[in-house]
Amino acid sequence: MKRLLILFTLLTSIGIFAQSKYLTKTGKVTFEASVPSFEEVKATNKNTTAIINTENGEFAALVLVKGFRFKNALMEEHFNENYAESDDYPKATFKGTIANFSMDELSASNIKSYSGSITFHGKTKTLDNESLNIKKQTDGSLLIKGELKLNVADFDIEIPKIVSNKLSSEVNVSYEFVLNKK
Amino acid sequence: MKKKTLLIVIILLLIAAVFGYNYVYQDHRDISTESAAYTLNAEDLIAEFATDTEIAQSKYLNKTILINGEITAQRNSSVTLNNSIFCSLLEQNPISEKRKISVKGRFIGYDDLLEEIKLDQCTITTN
Repeated sequence: MKRLLILFTLLTSIGIFAQSKYLTKTGKVTFEASVPSFEEVKATNKNTTAIINTENGEFAALVLVKGFRFKNALMEEHFNENYAESDDYPKATFKGTIANFSMDELSASNIKSYSGSITFHGKTKTLDNESLNIKKQTDGSLLIKGELKLNVADFDIEIPKIVSNKLSSEVNVSYEFVLNKK
Repeated sequence: MKKKTLLIVIILLLIAAVFGYNYVYQDHRDISTESAAYTLNAEDLIAEFATDTEIAQSKYLNKTILINGEITAQRNSSVTLNNSIFCSLLEQNPISEKRKISVKGRFIGYDDLLEEIKLDQCTITTN
């Protein structure tokens, strides 16, 4: 019985191991909605969680909106209170599946296409055939990075007229995740 | 007389400008010097999130909290307390062994992918 139990534990732990997942808790996500010749509107979140399942190319990232840091403290306050409304919507998610994903061909830098969705401010936008860069690094970690162009209107965010010339309605989002095997 | 009014107007404008500038370019919150809104043990905080994540999240969101707990994992710039409180540190992690510490930081939200409580701008208050 004892031996059976050991065998069982061994088998299940192998099972968990085989379910190869790579993750990071300190992924970087930056967005910028600057307009030339005005103060930059840019923030970075360095505590993004991201996971990828290397068996099927499914990935998910979770951004805690309060974790976005701006250079300007007042801008950070306005972002949280008036635009992202982070008290009501503290989370943003980004998930999807990378097409034709195979762990074996990741030694070099790879541009891969993926489909998925992004949720922010309680609104979800689907993403079709976007691309990202994925690479297996020499230390065994996976580097995933890419960019997205998003419209604030897609997320039900209104920009007041007073600031509309200082704030771009198109937002550039870039992300960089260094994921380690779980 | 006219000169005097002009002088007063200029002084008032200057004062307004200084206040305006200080408002627009105010300093960030300094979590490391802020006094904690809540001080509690790691296991109590985890229990609160286990009971009701939503309530606990809105209670602590953006608040400075001081947590007493045990280091269960660590990296260059972060420590994990009691397996499920992730604290991103302001400075490099000075502690290499696993032991009990107090950490002060700002709660930024509950990570439901990894079921972790996340804090940023953390400082270790006991050594």
